[in-house]
Amino acid sequence: MIRHLTSETSPARVVVVGASGFVGQDITRTLRESGTEVVALSSADVDLTKPESVDALGRMIGEPDSLVIVSAITPDKGKDAATLMRNLAMGQHLSAFLEQAKRAHVVYISSDAVYADDANPVRENSCCDPSSFHGLMHLVRERMFAEAVRKTATPYLILRPCAVYGGGDTHNSYGPNRFLRTALKDHQISLFGQGEEQRDHIYIKDLSRLVALCLARSSEGVLNVATGQSVSFFEVAEKIAQLCGDGVEIKGSPRANPVTHRHFDVTNIRKAFPEFVLTSLDDGLAEFLREIKDNQAG
Amino acid sequence: MIGFAGLSHLGLVSGMAAAAKGFDVIAYGADGALCDRLNRGEFPFFEPGLEELWSANRSRINFTAAAAELSLCQVIYLSLDVATDENGGSDLSGLTDLIDRVVAAAANDTILIVLSQVPPGFTRKLAGRIEPLRNTRGLQLFYQVETLIFGRAVERAMEPERFIVGANDPRHELPETYQNVLSAFDCPILVMRYESAELAKISINMCLVSSVSVANTMAELCEKIGADWSEIVPALKLDKRIGQYAYLTPGLGIAGGNLERDIATVVSLANEFGADDGVPDAWIANSRYRRDWVLRVLHAGVISRVANPMIAVWGLAYKQDTNSTKNSPALFLIDALKPFSVRAYDPAVTLEAGIQPNFLQSATALEACEGADALAIMTPWPEFSAIDIAEIRQLMKGRVIVDPYSMLDGETCGRSGFSYFKLGSPAGKGK
Repeated sequence: MIRHLTSETSPARVVVVGASGFVGQDITRTLRESGTEVVALSSADVDLTKPESVDALGRMIGEPDSLVIVSAITPDKGKDAATLMRNLAMGQHLSAFLEQAKRAHVVYISSDAVYADDANPVRENSCCDPSSFHGLMHLVRERMFAEAVRKTATPYLILRPCAVYGGGDTHNSYGPNRFLRTALKDHQISLFGQGEEQRDHIYIKDLSRLVALCLARSSEGVLNVATGQSVSFFEVAEKIAQLCGDGVEIKGSPRANPVTHRHFDVTNIRKAFPEFVLTSLDDGLAEFLREIKDNQAG
Repeated sequence: MIGFAGLSHLGLVSGMAAAAKGFDVIAYGADGALCDRLNRGEFPFFEPGLEELWSANRSRINFTAAAAELSLCQVIYLSLDVATDENGGSDLSGLTDLIDRVVAAAANDTILIVLSQVPPGFTRKLAGRIEPLRNTRGLQLFYQVETLIFGRAVERAMEPERFIVGANDPRHELPETYQNVLSAFDCPILVMRYESAELAKISINMCLVSSVSVANTMAELCEKIGADWSEIVPALKLDKRIGQYAYLTPGLGIAGGNLERDIATVVSLANEFGADDGVPDAWIANSRYRRDWVLRVLHAGVISRVANPMIAVWGLAYKQDTNSTKNSPALFLIDALKPFSVRAYDPAVTLEAGIQPNFLQSATALEACEGADALAIMTPWPEFSAIDIAEIRQLMKGRVIVDPYSMLDGETCGRSGFSYFKLGSPAGKGK
């Protein structure tokens, strides 16, 4: 589902739009560590919800630049129609900017929330029928940007990651991020139901490394970012309890919603980047824990 | 005298079968050099039993590049192979050109029979073009279903299960000369209208695809939940509604070109006429998914664990007993392993040198194993089953065998220290 337009080359400069969030920060750090010049833009630099942002972006981003667009108002800050409309306004202004001139490359970090809940195993051509405003927002923005870059023939890549975990998470989302924090703080992990739902979890550093690879190859198309190994939330909780080691209690709760699972067919990552090795959940969680402890110690 | 226009796999095997039944055969193809080679018994592909059939009947078959010689034939089969693209779409331009040449060369009162793979409606349209010639020259047009199986083509051509004939009006008896040809094979003859015959061929293939898709779907579940598909299959075959010859062997998706063509035709017809195409779409998706099974296993078992792994690949043909590589899972695998060293062996297929920087073809199966971290057996050639696992073990560096078709004994592989993967049962469990 993706093709590489170049062999391994370093992008001249990368502008990360939405660089203060969990994913944006890590992508920025990874690119800088690899020697890439990065301009990190956050809402403090440019407020994408406002029309003036179109000109502001034009002043900050040059034509030889590659863009990584991560910026979004995440579900923890709002799941309602008003949040949807603000996110779409951001998309509208970014699109207006993208229409103005050809850029080296545009990478949009979307989400697996664009897919229908029952799409299993999820592939890049699975039915897109989002059940949340968050998923709908990403799907509409994907199309907005596609339309904008089509006019300038800018190479365009959409990455659709599954749930992302790792140090620096600002959303405290259900799953590894929340489980590890509550295990360390309260010695307790609370599950919805008995945590039967199976999900795929991608380690933040894998996502960032993959973004760097895609920038280096000027990849275009659509690619899901997942490990291909789904596990239940209960298993995640057990792994974390074992890692933390001092009597973490896993607590279930009465089930409010039916159990659904999500699995990914990651063959396209294997084909696009044969040498890319994904971090296993065990290794990723261990590294995540080390990072938290290092931060606490530091 | 019977003519065959189009020296395809189908045309050559069908022509040889007609000669074997005692008919004199003229086989026409525009490539004069190919005709010379065929007249010497040199076939451009491997098909079990074909060379023997030629040796026994060479006096009755003549290959020629002169279309005019077809004027000697009372019956002419149009047997050009219709090329397909990666998605199964057909290019019929070569066939229509050939038909024009054959019609021009044919004598009056000749019976023309389309044997090539054509979409429903093709023969009726062609009949419309030929209709004026029916009145003036007595040409008659039929469509005859072929169900060629690479590797078993001779057996099926000599002993067909039945003939399915498409006619302009099935109420009329077949012309005597055509009836005589078919009767020589001593099997039921089913005559129906053109469109029914064209769709009958596709329906047969859809039943096969359906069975294989069931096998692939259930085999994957077996791999996940600890069942063994090979234990289940005998139970299914004893069910009369399924039958002992049902296609229930799981595989690496649908390959070879013909089944893909017919699925594409069904999807195209469904789109054109507003019929439901959800099922064939699912077959295609399942086929592509299963095609990459070996790649997924190799990534999980080797590539994610070993730096710069070397992979041995046995088998390049899309199935055993053929040198066809059309949509072969082996070639898709090799393409997806580009950065890694691949050493391949196939008893009937030699790929062009340098198709990939790290690809080498070996002279023997064991040679391909030297220093390999994993072995993937992509084509179920019978000779692979005879290879000593101890010898494989001695030559390989790694201990992973991916054997989708269960060519090796899994238990022996396991006892020899290999992680063993086959379709339809959990990892590590052999046959």
